Amino acid sequence: MGFWSTTLIFFLAGVVASLSLRLCCNRGPSTNLFHLTLIITATVCCWMMWAIVYLAQMNPLIVPVLNGEK
Amino acid sequence: MADPSRGRSGGCCPPMDLMRSEEMQLVQVIVPIESSHLTISYLGDLGLLQFKDLNADKSPFQRTYANQIKRCGEMARKLRLFREQMTKAGISSAAMADTWTHVDFDDLEIKLGELEAELVEVNANNEKLQRTYNELLEYKLVLQKTGEFFYSAQSSATAQQREIGAHQVGIGSLESPLLEQEMSSDPSKQVKLGFMCGLVPKEKSMAFERILFRATRGNVYLKQVQIDEPVTDPVSGEKVAKNVFVVFYSGERAKIKILKICEAFGANRYPFTEDFGKQMQMTEEVSGRITELKTTIDIGLLHRDNILKNIAHQFEQWNHLVRREKSIFHTLNMLSLDVTKKCLVGEGWCPVFATSQIQDALQRATFDSNSQVGSIFQVLQTGELPPTYFQTNKFTTAFQEIVDAYGVAKYQEANPGVFTIITFPFLFAVMFGDWGHGLCLLVATLLLIIREKKLSSQKLGDIMEMTFGGRYVILMMSVFSIYTGLIYNEFFSVPFELFGPSAYACRDASCRDATTEGLIKARRTYPFGVDPKWHGTRSELPFLNSLKMKMSILLGVAQMNLGIFLSYFNAKFFGNSINIWYQFVPQLIFLNSLFGYLSLLIIVKWCTGSKADLYHVMIYMFLSPTDELGENALFPGQKMLQLVLLALALISVPWMLFPKPFLLKKQHQERHQGQAYTMLHGNDNSLEVEDNGAHDHEEFEFSEVFVHQLIHTIEFVLGAVSNTASYLRLWALSLAHSELSTVFYEKVLLLAWGFNNVFILIIGFVVFIFATIGVLLVMETLSAFLHALRLHWVEFQNKFYEGDGYKFAPFSFTLLSAEDD
Repeated sequence: MGFWSTTLIFFLAGVVASLSLRLCCNRGPSTNLFHLTLIITATVCCWMMWAIVYLAQMNPLIVPVLNGEK
Repeated sequence: MADPSRGRSGGCCPPMDLMRSEEMQLVQVIVPIESSHLTISYLGDLGLLQFKDLNADKSPFQRTYANQIKRCGEMARKLRLFREQMTKAGISSAAMADTWTHVDFDDLEIKLGELEAELVEVNANNEKLQRTYNELLEYKLVLQKTGEFFYSAQSSATAQQREIGAHQVGIGSLESPLLEQEMSSDPSKQVKLGFMCGLVPKEKSMAFERILFRATRGNVYLKQVQIDEPVTDPVSGEKVAKNVFVVFYSGERAKIKILKICEAFGANRYPFTEDFGKQMQMTEEVSGRITELKTTIDIGLLHRDNILKNIAHQFEQWNHLVRREKSIFHTLNMLSLDVTKKCLVGEGWCPVFATSQIQDALQRATFDSNSQVGSIFQVLQTGELPPTYFQTNKFTTAFQEIVDAYGVAKYQEANPGVFTIITFPFLFAVMFGDWGHGLCLLVATLLLIIREKKLSSQKLGDIMEMTFGGRYVILMMSVFSIYTGLIYNEFFSVPFELFGPSAYACRDASCRDATTEGLIKARRTYPFGVDPKWHGTRSELPFLNSLKMKMSILLGVAQMNLGIFLSYFNAKFFGNSINIWYQFVPQLIFLNSLFGYLSLLIIVKWCTGSKADLYHVMIYMFLSPTDELGENALFPGQKMLQLVLLALALISVPWMLFPKPFLLKKQHQERHQGQAYTMLHGNDNSLEVEDNGAHDHEEFEFSEVFVHQLIHTIEFVLGAVSNTASYLRLWALSLAHSELSTVFYEKVLLLAWGFNNVFILIIGFVVFIFATIGVLLVMETLSAFLHALRLHWVEFQNKFYEGDGYKFAPFSFTLLSAEDD
């Protein structure tokens, strides 16, 4: 599971969520756009959070140093 | 609305719910006076029209319906009296019946008047009876105690007399007091003493005694007996501890003095005779009357309770009706009376979509009131700023309130509420990342949501009310906390290997240098969230601090950019190209050439694994931009890029500052001139032109506009730095949260576990639970909430949000019942 493949998963999840919301509650164009905005914002937020943490661990400058006998 | 290109559908994008406030219009309603009441009532049911006060210059007493309002006030007072009496009698009013029996306003007024008179009379009677009853009780006590006292005094007197007699027999006794001998031997010299008895409150008894003593210069004999149980004072009706007193005095003047003192001390006096026979008779008489009165009082109370129960049955309905009528007359008072006195003219704001509904309500009212003339509904043109109205549902309301608490959006301004729905709980969760805690919050808020119907109908406490109101906010917060908790890999601070094996392993089989050199990255990066191996290692904190700090900056820059883009949408919507070119563009450039670049550096550093010092790069980008970067270089051409970015940032500051005021001035002059010419043409729509003219004739103060722009620029430039720094609170709070939960887990739960004792384990567990709930789930939630709030109000909203609108407050009966008490 590399960076791009997981990103793709996030993207697909966003698409699936917005499609299903569109199919479940279709309440006119302005509401649909509102729902779409919410889902895009949520997906982007979640993806950013994940991507930041993933990237930070990709090339570690410091590594875990175990806490030995206390 | 004066400018149609501004109002209708805006400039740029397809309409979105909640993004822009509802389009409003100023309307005029002309209602014939005979159907006015019904019209207002129907409009109140609809609740989509906000009336303007057209009689603002008149005092409340000068208005048309002042009298009716007074009547309503009087009725409300009566209802309050009933409610008071009902609570006193412990009768709760029945819930409002679903079926409305129609009650006429005038009938209700008469009925309430009658009921009040009856109730007052019954109460007065009862009070009188109660007072007599209490007096009799006191009297009985006085009779009892004083009787005892007199009896004992008399028996001791006779005993003494007998003793004296004995003494007299044996003369010779030297000890026999001379005086007593004299007194007893000479009864003709005895003075007739008067006496008085009654009850005095216990706390005043000492002072009472002293004053009596002083006033009569000691020529008084006072005897007090304490009563064990407090008695009900006939005057005040309160339970008071009292003393029975008997006071002996001599002379008429002393009597007058004592009477006055008794009065001053609130001491109730009661007649008493020395004669035993009469005493017995009186006691009997008093007891008889007491029982008699008791039954009378009971019957009276029963009667009163019956009246109150009848009232309670319909109380809510009446209350509702009176409140409704009052609000109707209040609204009618805002309408102005036509010169012919045959119709009322009202003006108000309503959403454009409600036009047909309002017209329909007006028609129904005309029809139902059998009015000869219909009402007139027309849209007015105005340059005034309409109120802001967002149609929210139960989910979006709480988020919109978060935004409104900062400031109500200007009419049709981009509403940060749309993004707040996601970003607010998200930023909260960044600070509250623990999926165990998130689950607890989720369960709590789900309980609220499941019992939503029941809870919304009943009255809750202050804190509970607030929590209930924000239940969907908390729901979102908990869902995002679970997500960020999974990313942080913390479940009550314990990591789990949920998404595959850790990326780190020992360098060799012996694992000798794991505590000195550390582990080595042996597999692919942990696919989701923080690697579980980090937990409890010595390098955990440096790693997490660096990660969270950088994450805060990245998230902050992203959100601030979103804010700046929203300012673009605002400018586009209002057709304000000056704001786009001389505010939005330089702002975007400035922020991104500094902090956008920093974000880029962070990401590049992560991707390449470079050891460059970002602080150094950023600081020397300003101090000596032409120097070589040396080992801190992250990518080729970085120096060139930095120079360009620095130049852009430097250019964008004057770009923000200077052009806008000058362009505004030019624009103003052009408009001014153009108008002078067009005035001559339009005779047909002179009203509108006049209206616009009045609006534009405002003096254009260049210096003021310039200073305003200066402040705005300085705020943005300094804000870019301080706001980015402000986002570091995300790091600080999330660090505090994870450290606290680690402490509770390790120092409480694991410590208790280590003792291998069930008892200690239970104590440790209980302490852990309370600490988790009290500190982490309540206090930490609050603090993370407040910090997320601040990040939205200040760092996000100051990029685009004016927030100087005013809220649409329609005349509505549903709102009326919500804000009762």
